[in-house]
Formats: sequence, structure tokens, C-alpha cells
Amino acid sequence: MSQQAAALLAQAALVLFLSPLITGFSRTLKARLQMRRGPGILQPYRDLRKLLQKGMVIPDTASWIFTFTPYVLFAATLLACLLIPTISAQAPLSLFGGALAVVYLLALGRFFLALGGLDTGSPFGGLGSSREMTISAIAEPALMLAVFTVAIGAGSTNLSAVAQSALRQSWQFLAPSQMLAFAALFIVLIAETGRIPVDNPATHLELTMIHEAMILEYSGPYLALIEWSAAMKQLALMTLLVNVFFPFGLSTGWWQLGTLVSLVLFAAKLMLLAAAVVLVETSNAKLRIFRVPELLAVAFVLSALALISTFLF
Amino acid sequence: MLFEDPQFGNKLITMMAAALLVLQIMMVAQRWLITNIRAFGVQSFLLACIAATIAHFNHAPHIYIVAVLTLLFKALLLPIVLERLALKIEIRQEIEPFVNVPVSVIVSGLLTLLAYVVAESFHRPEEAAGPGRLGHNTLAVAIALFLIGFFMMVNRRKALTQVLALLCLENGLFLAAISLTYGMPLIVEAGIFFDVLVATLLLAILSYRIRETFDSMDVSRLSRLRG
Repeated sequence: MSQQAAALLAQAALVLFLSPLITGFSRTLKARLQMRRGPGILQPYRDLRKLLQKGMVIPDTASWIFTFTPYVLFAATLLACLLIPTISAQAPLSLFGGALAVVYLLALGRFFLALGGLDTGSPFGGLGSSREMTISAIAEPALMLAVFTVAIGAGSTNLSAVAQSALRQSWQFLAPSQMLAFAALFIVLIAETGRIPVDNPATHLELTMIHEAMILEYSGPYLALIEWSAAMKQLALMTLLVNVFFPFGLSTGWWQLGTLVSLVLFAAKLMLLAAAVVLVETSNAKLRIFRVPELLAVAFVLSALALISTFLF
Repeated sequence: MLFEDPQFGNKLITMMAAALLVLQIMMVAQRWLITNIRAFGVQSFLLACIAATIAHFNHAPHIYIVAVLTLLFKALLLPIVLERLALKIEIRQEIEPFVNVPVSVIVSGLLTLLAYVVAESFHRPEEAAGPGRLGHNTLAVAIALFLIGFFMMVNRRKALTQVLALLCLENGLFLAAISLTYGMPLIVEAGIFFDVLVATLLLAILSYRIRETFDSMDVSRLSRLRG
């Protein structure tokens, strides 16, 4: 029992402190690819510390939803992260829910964030919320179908069971359904984390922004919580991709030597995936907003095909 | 040994075939002509890899020749020729399909489903074992490539983009041939091969002439009389 509690704390700490690092890593890598020096890898930590120490400006028109949102978002995202296996195939909260819980905890956070954007009555917030919900309405089915594809292979929607079954089947990742599901999830990852073909994470004032438009009214510690949740959500989705499709070296328990190896491999795999995302980001131009559904339609069809091909191949 | 195990070869071929399908759907969704041409190049490269894998696991050296030919002509020469043509005639870089992109992508998905259903009737589980049945499950992908290629051809207006769709269609045929028969006699392969090569070069010249005469590559204008 105490071991499980320790595992829970360990994973919470890992997720909380690793997520800004991944954000920092991809920012630095992107800057280097664009021949800029860029900020240091640790910049997101400094940003968070700075924001947490600052005072807050809350608009007069804001209701309780505005102040409630950052906490709900942060708690829901952290909870979702604890349901996903990271360095051990056994996720600490896996008894409480599987893939469906992860997807809908993330959706809960997004729902409140959209409400928070609408709450102040600023036109930018409403615009951002409406766009975010439009995109997620198409990205979510694609995500669900891709997750179901791997769940059928494992016989369970519990992500710990999925990771363990993926660990047993060494050539599983070569199967066409896995390949299609991976391609679909990769597009969903880009859309959900607001990367370049869909949204530009580096802008704060642009007519085409999505995520940044929603959180324009937030400042200080609230903004820190939202930024931190965004980083954790990115980590959650990347972990899902990495551990479900390439689980080599994932340790099966928590307190053993293999966990250390697993930690190193996990970091390496995350770095590779982040590098792939950055490569897509630097080699593509941002899509016009009404072209985004086309990209997501591709993701949807790919994941639907993935699901169908598990039955046919 | 991993590289002698036919099961590994089978998985490898199936994975590359799935990648071919992903590329084909991306091509349906992609609007830029140059990106489309390059995606075709990558697709041909993967096809050459599949051919080489089949040659290796089936110990059929003549398929290596087919693989090298595919690599040289379809993955390198044809994309370069088409790209130069696209630059030379300065057409608008965006492909304008008749049906909009999300619907096209969904139609491609349905066509793939149809292909799976058709290929299912060819499936013989009792013959599925052994090195002789390498890549048997790629037939569905091959038929899907063929059908989507057809759809792309019907769906596009410009002559050059139709040529590209024809080439994709031919990629599907090639995959079907190689995954069903493990290499037809070399002379047949070579015949088809040069047929396609010459056809593409002729069509490239033809689309250039269409553009010269009609100031547009839109084939629907061909039915108009000029006087």
C-alpha cells in the first residue's frame, strides 16, 4: 500500500517536473533548427517561477468560473497523467480508469478552459474558445478510434494492460493497424498541443491564434497553472504515443533496477518524438484555420482504417 | 537470424505497405502539386524497398533488378521530370479537386474498405504459412492504391495532376503484381515498366502542349471548339 502511494508520488513528481523540460527542449531545438540561439532548455521553469510570484489582474466582468478554471484544468490534467504508464508499465492510478478516463479528463480541462475564455466577454477569448472546440470536436474521435485500435489488440482499454501487452509482442509495432493508428495519433498530438500546422505556440498576438487567444485574460499564478497544464497535457499525449507504440525497455514494476533503465529510455524516446514534432513544425507553414479540419479529417480516416484493419488483416 | 526469418519479412512488407497507404491518403489531402510529386517519389522508393525485401526473402535475384529500376526511374527520374515540368509551365501550385478535401479523404477511406473486402475473397488461410506466402496481405493495400489512384484521376482537373494520379494507380498495380506473384518474368515487368515511363514522358509533353494551346491545363476545356 505504501509502495503504491510512493509510486503515485513519484509519478506525480516526474510528470510535474519533466513536462516543462520537454517544452523547453522542443523550443530550444526549434530555435536551433531556425539558426537562432533561443532560450535555454530551463526557460519554462524560470517562466513558471516568475509567473507564480507575480500579482494577478482579474477582469471586472469575470465570474467564479474564471477563477475556478485554472484549478480544474491543472487537477484534471495531472490526474490524466497519473493514469498513463510512464516509466513503469503499471500506472499508479490504473485501477481508477483507462484510456477513456484519460481522454475525458483532458476534455474536462479543455471544456473549462473554453468556458474561462468565454467568461470575461472579451472577443479574443470567445474566438479562441470557439476555435479550440471546433478542432477538438474533430480531433477527439480520431484520438478515441486510434486508442480503441490498440485497446482491441490488448483486449482492454486499461492503458497499463495495453502497455504490458505491447511489451510482450515484440513485432507488434510493425502491424499495419498500429502504423495507421500511430500516424493518426501523431496528427492528433500536433493538433491538441497547438503546434504549427494547426496553431502557433510562439505567438501571443495574432488573429489566427487558438490556445493563446483563450488564455489572453489570464495572468500571474493562474497563467502559470494553465501553462503548466498545457505542458503536462503535451507530456501525457507524448507518453501515450511512446509507451503504447514503442514500449521497449519499459519496466514492469516500480521499485527495481529496471525502472532506472526505463527512465533513461523514456527520456530518450520522448526526445526523439519531440524532435519529430519540431521537424514537422519547422518544415511546414501554418494552415489557414478553415484548412485545419482537412488535416484532422485525414487523422480521422487513418484511425478509422486502423480500427477496421485490425479485424481484416 | 532476424533477416532470414520469413515472418519478420512479412511484417516488414506489411508495414511498408501500410506506409504506402498512409502516403496515398496524404496525397489525396495535400493541395500543393510539388509536395504531391515528392510524396509520389517517396511512395516509389518504398515500393522499391518492398520489391527488394521480397527478393531477399524469396531468393529471387531478378526482382532486385525490378527494385533498382523502380528506384532509378520512378523514385528519381519521374519526380524530377514532373517537377521541372511543373516549374516550366508555371501553373498554379494548388490542385483544385472537384470534391472538397475532407470528402475526398473519406471517399478514399471507403475505397480502402472496399479494397479490404475484395481482397478478403482472395485470402487462403491454409496457404498463409511458409516463405512462399510472403506479403500476401498486401493485396488489400494494392487494390486500395489502385482504387484511390482512379478516384484521384477522376477528381482532378489539371492534366499534370491526372498524370500523377495515373502513376499512383500504376504503383498499386505494381504492388499487386509483386505481392501476388513474387515477380513476374523480368521481361513482363520491364515491358510494363517502360510502357509507363514512355507514357508518362509523352503525357508530360502532351500536357505542356495542352497548356500552350489552351492557356490552361484544365482538361474540361478540351471539349470546347476553337476557331
